[in-house]
Amino acid sequence: MRMLLMMGAALAVASAQVTIEDIRKSPDKNWLTYNGDYSGQRFSSLKQITPANAGNLVAKWVYNFEGARRLSCVPVVYDGVMYVTNTNEVHALDARTGRRIWQYKSPGITNSRVNRGVAILGDKVFVVTNDAHLLAIDRITGGVLWDREYADAKKGYNATVAPLAIPGGILVGVTGGGSGQRGFVAALSPEDGHEVWRFWTVPAKGEPGSETWGNFNLDWGGAPTWTTGTYEPETNTVYWPTGNPWPDFHGDDRPGDNLYSDSLLALDGKTGKLKWHYQFVPHDVWDWDANEVPVLIDANWKGKPRKLVVQANRNGFHYILDRTTGEFLHAQPFIKRLDWAKGFDAKGRPILNPGKVPTTGGTKICPSVRGATNWNSPSYNPVTGMLYLVVLEQCDIYITSSKEPVPNSGFRGTGSEGVPAEPGEFFMRALDAATGEIRWSQPMPGPGKTWAGTAATAGGVVFAGDDDGNLVAYDAKTGKDLWNFQMGHTLYASPITFEVEGKQYVTIAAETDIYTFGLFEPARR
Amino acid sequence: MRWLCVLLLCCPSLAPAQKNPLAKDPAAIENGRQTFLGACSACHGASAQGGTGPSLVSGRMNRLNDGQALKAIKNGLPGTDMPPFNIPDDKVWEMVTFLRSLSRPAIALPPAGSAEAGAAVFFGKGGCSNCHRIAGKGGAIGPDLTNAGANMTVLQMREAIFEPNARVAPGFEAVTVTTAAGAVIDGVARNENNYSLQVLDKAGKLHLLWRRDVKQFKRRDGSLMPAGYDQKLSKVEATDLLAFLSRQSIRPYEAGEDR
Repeated sequence: MRMLLMMGAALAVASAQVTIEDIRKSPDKNWLTYNGDYSGQRFSSLKQITPANAGNLVAKWVYNFEGARRLSCVPVVYDGVMYVTNTNEVHALDARTGRRIWQYKSPGITNSRVNRGVAILGDKVFVVTNDAHLLAIDRITGGVLWDREYADAKKGYNATVAPLAIPGGILVGVTGGGSGQRGFVAALSPEDGHEVWRFWTVPAKGEPGSETWGNFNLDWGGAPTWTTGTYEPETNTVYWPTGNPWPDFHGDDRPGDNLYSDSLLALDGKTGKLKWHYQFVPHDVWDWDANEVPVLIDANWKGKPRKLVVQANRNGFHYILDRTTGEFLHAQPFIKRLDWAKGFDAKGRPILNPGKVPTTGGTKICPSVRGATNWNSPSYNPVTGMLYLVVLEQCDIYITSSKEPVPNSGFRGTGSEGVPAEPGEFFMRALDAATGEIRWSQPMPGPGKTWAGTAATAGGVVFAGDDDGNLVAYDAKTGKDLWNFQMGHTLYASPITFEVEGKQYVTIAAETDIYTFGLFEPARR
Repeated sequence: MRWLCVLLLCCPSLAPAQKNPLAKDPAAIENGRQTFLGACSACHGASAQGGTGPSLVSGRMNRLNDGQALKAIKNGLPGTDMPPFNIPDDKVWEMVTFLRSLSRPAIALPPAGSAEAGAAVFFGKGGCSNCHRIAGKGGAIGPDLTNAGANMTVLQMREAIFEPNARVAPGFEAVTVTTAAGAVIDGVARNENNYSLQVLDKAGKLHLLWRRDVKQFKRRDGSLMPAGYDQKLSKVEATDLLAFLSRQSIRPYEAGEDR
């Protein structure tokens, strides 16, 4: 107790450098990347909150992010300080109290978009602006150190991604699948922002893969990179997912598979060179970005330990790949309403069901454009072997139209509308990550609005946002609903957990505010 | 007056579309300031923030185009206390440049002076970098000035340097905290309320404190920023320092619409 008091008396935030080793150990008391770790598991080693006491969680503080809406950031926490973002803004908060320590607003930009959070390394936090600059900010003072443009906003480029810090590079991506930009992943120097490498997700003319586009202008291909990928330090391999080709719903002008859209890329962390790729949806005409988190897990595959990368994709299949070679091992639907493909060939190419493509008159296809899941993060508990995610069972009427493609003109080849008599249903679902089988499923009977993800903990609790603005705690093994808190907002972000002064907290961004919860304790004065 | 408002504000096309020929002359700011101090400060205040006459820092000046501003100064505003001034056009234009600078970021028209010499003052004789940081160089306890040219007007810079106690930047109030454990923390309160304190000390270390664990809390009167820079720096050095700080912007300045 005395020690606790001493700690409470003055929590001095050391100006120690955040190291790659710290990130490898995260999430422990810290939460140091968008997904907490490099693997995308979002599995915290914290155990204070358990199924036995999760019912005692209470709100600890709420931080109103002035001027925000649709807050989509996943906070990063280091040494008792929490970094949260909105478009072109970073705020540093006392993670125990929600009191602001500093804020930085990037000057001169007015058009709004979301921002998904910061990366942290050394004495800096890194954030992208909506006009595709990477900023480095002193994590203690909030002073900006440099501002480096990495894509030309005048060409329509935008950025929302939370960067990822790996040895020698801060990884960034761009949007553009809906407006005709050429996607890329880039590593920028953590020291001064100069570009270390860039991998174009649409090849240049003559390069391998360019033959998969017909005569389409490759500068317009899309394949954006707007969510944070994952990383394996042992092999220095970056796993980065890509989005849809452009125009989203009309593929006649881009005959072929349209590499590397809707793919998972394995890139060398030092050079950006492609090690392998797997394309989830060749020649996408459904807008099924593969911008979901590729989760790196070590599990048994057919009785033998194997290094896997798994992804629950927007198209409704849970994919299991060998992460060393990219070999397709298995894909299993995690929703019931799925009819676009009936299976896969030996190489992992989907076998389409006939007639399940958008038409001018409209075709009912499952899942919906919104996706069986989306960018909102899943989490994985290596003890239960389960992947936890929020899923949507819904079909859409897909409609296509043709037009001379002009980038940044608002043209997407049309889109979709709901099936009036068949409203979508959200579920919190746990999959056996190594097979894709559904282990438990909890319905969300609310109004059907959520973009929230999940976070798993060694305490055996999984946190998730539901479709009615609740943060919910579930028993990781059984799916039992243990606790909820109504925040009154649609959720657009994924929860995190961290520890300060020996206490475990859970935080999630909710539309305009950052909410933080912890176990009840009597007030002290 | 009402008629004048209608004429000036609602029907700008009727007003002469004269352009200020000295709008981009860096020397005009200081020259204009001198003329303003002599002719206008009695009513509008030495810093143009208002006295018996209205403030010229706010939107009032911005609503007038150059020609209207010249005319208002030279002819006065009938029906108000604003008299006509028999001041040569070039001197009036300098004043207009000065007045515009009051509500525009310093980088829009940095004052004349050597930015290079100003950097030497900032990192040397002036001792500014002991507390202030630019692009990661310097101390942490004062406001970061990496973007000062874009975030501040020249007037605000001048006040911050030469009248440091006129106002203390939010989050930079000097405090001394003694904790129950006996630690003494000297720094600035980045935030505080009845329940917690977030203090950045002089070594650049952040202390997150519960108020209940604070034994003694002393707030220092005024700013940590030392007074006396009007004595410590020569006029040339002061101008050079302003020229340097005015150019601190993380992004290139994109000029707005010229009036």
